[in-house]
Amino acid sequence: MRSGQRGTFRERNFKYLLVGPAIFVLLLIGVFPLVYLLMVSFQGITMTETSTDFIGFANYRQLFSDARLWQALLHTVIITAIALPIELVLGLAMAQLFLDRLPGRAIFIALLVLPVVVSPIVSGATWALLFNHRFGPINQIIGWFMGRETILLWTINPNLVYPAIITAEIWQWTPFMFLLLLAALGSVDRSQIEAAAIDGAGWWRTFFRIVLPAIAPVMTVAVLIRGLDLFRLFDIVWALTQGGPGTLTETISVFTYIKGFRQFETSYTAAVALLVIVLLSTLVMYLLRRVELAR
Amino acid sequence: MKNCFASMCWKGLRAGFVIAGMTLAWAGVAHAQSAAKTAADAAKKICAGKTITIVWEAGLQSLDPLNFSGPLWEKETGCKIKVVEVPTAEMFTKIMQDYRAGSGAYDALNVVPSWMPDLVQAGALEQLDNYVDKYGYRAELQKIAPTYRDNQMKVNGKIYGFPDDGDVFIMYYRKDIFARDDLKKAFQAKYNYPLAPPKTWKQFDEVGSFLTDNLKKEGTYGASFFREAPYAMLMFQERFRVEGGKFFDANMKATVNSPIGVRVFTEMRNENRFMPPGVEKFGFVENLATFLKGESAMTISWPPYGRFAAGYLGSEKALDWVPKSTIAGKVGYALPPGGHPQLALGFALSVATHSKNKEAAYLFIQWLNSEEISTKRVQLPYTLRDPFRDSHYTDPVYLGLWPDAKDYLAALKAASQTGLLDLSLIQTDTYEEALRQGVGRLWAGEDPKTILDDVAKQWDATTAKIGVDKQKAVYNAWAAKSGAYPK
Amino acid sequence: MTPLAGRHRVRLCLRLVAAVALTLIFMFPIYWLYMISFKTASEIYAFPPKWYPSSFNFDTYRVLFRDGDAATVGNSLIVAFCSTALAMFLGFICAYSLARFSTGGKHLANWIISQRMIPPIAVVFPIFLLYVWFGLVDTYVGVILLYTAFNLPYVIWMMRSYILDVPRALEESALVDGYTRWQVLWKVLLPMCRAGLAATTIFTFVFAWNDFIFALVLTRTEVATYTVQITHYFGGQSNFWAKISAMSVLGTLPIFVVTAFMQRYFVRGISLGAVKG
Repeated sequence: MRSGQRGTFRERNFKYLLVGPAIFVLLLIGVFPLVYLLMVSFQGITMTETSTDFIGFANYRQLFSDARLWQALLHTVIITAIALPIELVLGLAMAQLFLDRLPGRAIFIALLVLPVVVSPIVSGATWALLFNHRFGPINQIIGWFMGRETILLWTINPNLVYPAIITAEIWQWTPFMFLLLLAALGSVDRSQIEAAAIDGAGWWRTFFRIVLPAIAPVMTVAVLIRGLDLFRLFDIVWALTQGGPGTLTETISVFTYIKGFRQFETSYTAAVALLVIVLLSTLVMYLLRRVELAR
Repeated sequence: MKNCFASMCWKGLRAGFVIAGMTLAWAGVAHAQSAAKTAADAAKKICAGKTITIVWEAGLQSLDPLNFSGPLWEKETGCKIKVVEVPTAEMFTKIMQDYRAGSGAYDALNVVPSWMPDLVQAGALEQLDNYVDKYGYRAELQKIAPTYRDNQMKVNGKIYGFPDDGDVFIMYYRKDIFARDDLKKAFQAKYNYPLAPPKTWKQFDEVGSFLTDNLKKEGTYGASFFREAPYAMLMFQERFRVEGGKFFDANMKATVNSPIGVRVFTEMRNENRFMPPGVEKFGFVENLATFLKGESAMTISWPPYGRFAAGYLGSEKALDWVPKSTIAGKVGYALPPGGHPQLALGFALSVATHSKNKEAAYLFIQWLNSEEISTKRVQLPYTLRDPFRDSHYTDPVYLGLWPDAKDYLAALKAASQTGLLDLSLIQTDTYEEALRQGVGRLWAGEDPKTILDDVAKQWDATTAKIGVDKQKAVYNAWAAKSGAYPK
Repeated sequence: MTPLAGRHRVRLCLRLVAAVALTLIFMFPIYWLYMISFKTASEIYAFPPKWYPSSFNFDTYRVLFRDGDAATVGNSLIVAFCSTALAMFLGFICAYSLARFSTGGKHLANWIISQRMIPPIAVVFPIFLLYVWFGLVDTYVGVILLYTAFNLPYVIWMMRSYILDVPRALEESALVDGYTRWQVLWKVLLPMCRAGLAATTIFTFVFAWNDFIFALVLTRTEVATYTVQITHYFGGQSNFWAKISAMSVLGTLPIFVVTAFMQRYFVRGISLGAVKG
């Protein structure tokens, strides 16, 4: 689309005027923290040390030899890699289910969005209560199926903590994917689907050849946003296990929280934060480029 | 002088001495009796409509300044109190962040005593000695129960906070169960000593498992504890020291992984077997519910359990989260096995260095902490502040609150004489965190020796990072306190 | 009944069953949470667990309103609503520019999304510092500004992809018809991405609504949001489950109402008017 060469200032710079305010707000809030993080990561500020002398790359050197940090990253990747596809597929299935007319659809959809709105801390605490052996119903229900009292310590047993966390996370955020994809599916051009049906294409074929490409942009962004948020997962893990047992379920956010908020290793956490940003940016840029090439 | 011993001169001299003595005594008495009044009077002069902001633990605790002490202070002095409620877990963070940002938003603070070395090191707490002398508070400070007074007030010999909460772990047990003849007979036959609240951990093991075996069909277990990591970590600190363990050796190397530590860890896990399944996840309220409903015969916890169990809630709406006690009148109080209870957490009142109203803030905390006002505060049914002054343990009103209150206060008083301090160094939380994670791994089934070796390694790494000599000085200062290790 | 209609009926039935089952499963934790606000303390910690309260009294709710706790839900509403409106407006027009004019090319778009890669925990303290210097701590303006900035990348990227889905033909013909670009944006494009707008609005609101870490550090007493207020109920020596639950009910009901109202934008069965392509 070519904008008029002889338009007024407003017309010529219309596109810039549109992005201006948003960028202004982002810069206002976003610039200082990054600059601060960068500066502080080269200093030696801890709980006891407030001198702002530069200490070079010491924090970064420590980064690479900190096993706990890399384990936290690994835990985070594992949770993301398992929860994200499940949320995507489940969300898509649910969106397809509610796409066409259904009695009471309005109520169903409104109810299904509720998990997302419960404060993550509360949802974590609720799931902790649900998983509680003595006071929660999950073990009770499992006991009914098994025919005897089942003692499963979901938030303590190393084999059960990840399923517990992932279950709580999927429960809370699948509705997000669901609603987003519902909106996307709803705007897919009906006529193309009908044409394909007339041509004799089966449902799956239509889905993969026509529907999926049509909702690809939204799906990509949804996956991107959800993936980034999963990477920053904190509340649910904290409420269920506090990163335990030991550091088995410590995600990168839990790690940063403990180091930054409890132990005030300000400089080190700044370096960690920058590392995370760099890692995520690289990953996201790579993925985006691949998606663009595919299109 | 020789001539003065003659009549008039001596009489005059004597009169002079008497008058001087009486004046001093009156001044002393007047001072001691009215630390609260002194503070209020002085505050009236300098407050005049100012607002003092105080950080307080959110929830039940803050009902004290919100509903009682705040309005009362305002009535007496004209100073307004603004309470900033902060969730327990975030208190240290918010205080430090506020200090580091220099915002000066807080005037007075509630701090957990084990944080004091870190906060003082960082410079966040105001030194209070000058104010204490100016307003003559030393006498009343002395009357705080010894363990709190000698251990939770000073850092490097200077006053940085007033101990304001007698937090201590005492043992609660079901008198009626221990009095049952059938159980007594069977126990004596099996173990050859009478059934009674255990005095050692070995006895605890025997009593607990015995009771569970016999009472499980009635729905009661021998014991339950709050085994969740943050609480269990404090219990470990107590038990480890009671069994003779030391946290560090003379070279500041961590010795939590000594055979004693390993034994304590192993026994802790073994005991879970006769406690309700899922006990590893019991927090304060889960454990309370179990005990109040009669589902466990013994437990160890903070003083509020005693008040709640006795049904001393009145019809307090603020306490309707407490399950109804089915065991009122059936609860006995004792020191935990080993006889040296942990003074777990607790609170002290301090003044923030960046406050713009330091003197007014100081007067408020002196008033709160004084004999007269603190006695009232520890008796509020909804408060979580526990008795911490000698006078609290013998206060006639408190004694009359419920039939067994005298035994309760006696147990608390005994605890205040023999209590053990929370470990407190530079970066205490880092050490505690390693222990907390160790407890988590213990419940997950890992080998105790491996876990404790890792904990010791983390401790040593932290010490090295802080500086061995620096930490050693702080640790030695802590270890020199009367409540650091059992005498 | 023709075979086609019969098959359609069966499919409808199956879909209904699936919908109900799904809803029950997803609602179960919410049911449990909501029920707690009516249970007594003994019922909350009953063993075996009680599935329903013995009576439905609204005492806890009364207490929340009387003590002013419920006011924090009001704070959350104000802050979330204002920041959502601001973020949606600024974000939508920015997204339009990116989608239709590729303003700033890839670099601008990528820079915008990179803002969401910053872990909040890491930037909370520097922002706190910034706010202390500008006196924005514990103010509505401060929190609204922050949430707006926080959500802009999300809004921009989501709306950009929804806009990309809409063919340009309609806008181009409108321009030819004499509409100004501004009018094209609001009168022509906006109605075409109603579904996307609705979904994005809901979640922008949700992200602002659910935030905890920023609210914790940047508010004290004046602008405490309901997420921070709820954490006051988790104590070391207490757990006000009834309050936690009642506050959660208060905190989720507005969204429920809004979503029920907006659901018609998401689903098929509405005529959107103009033909697409």
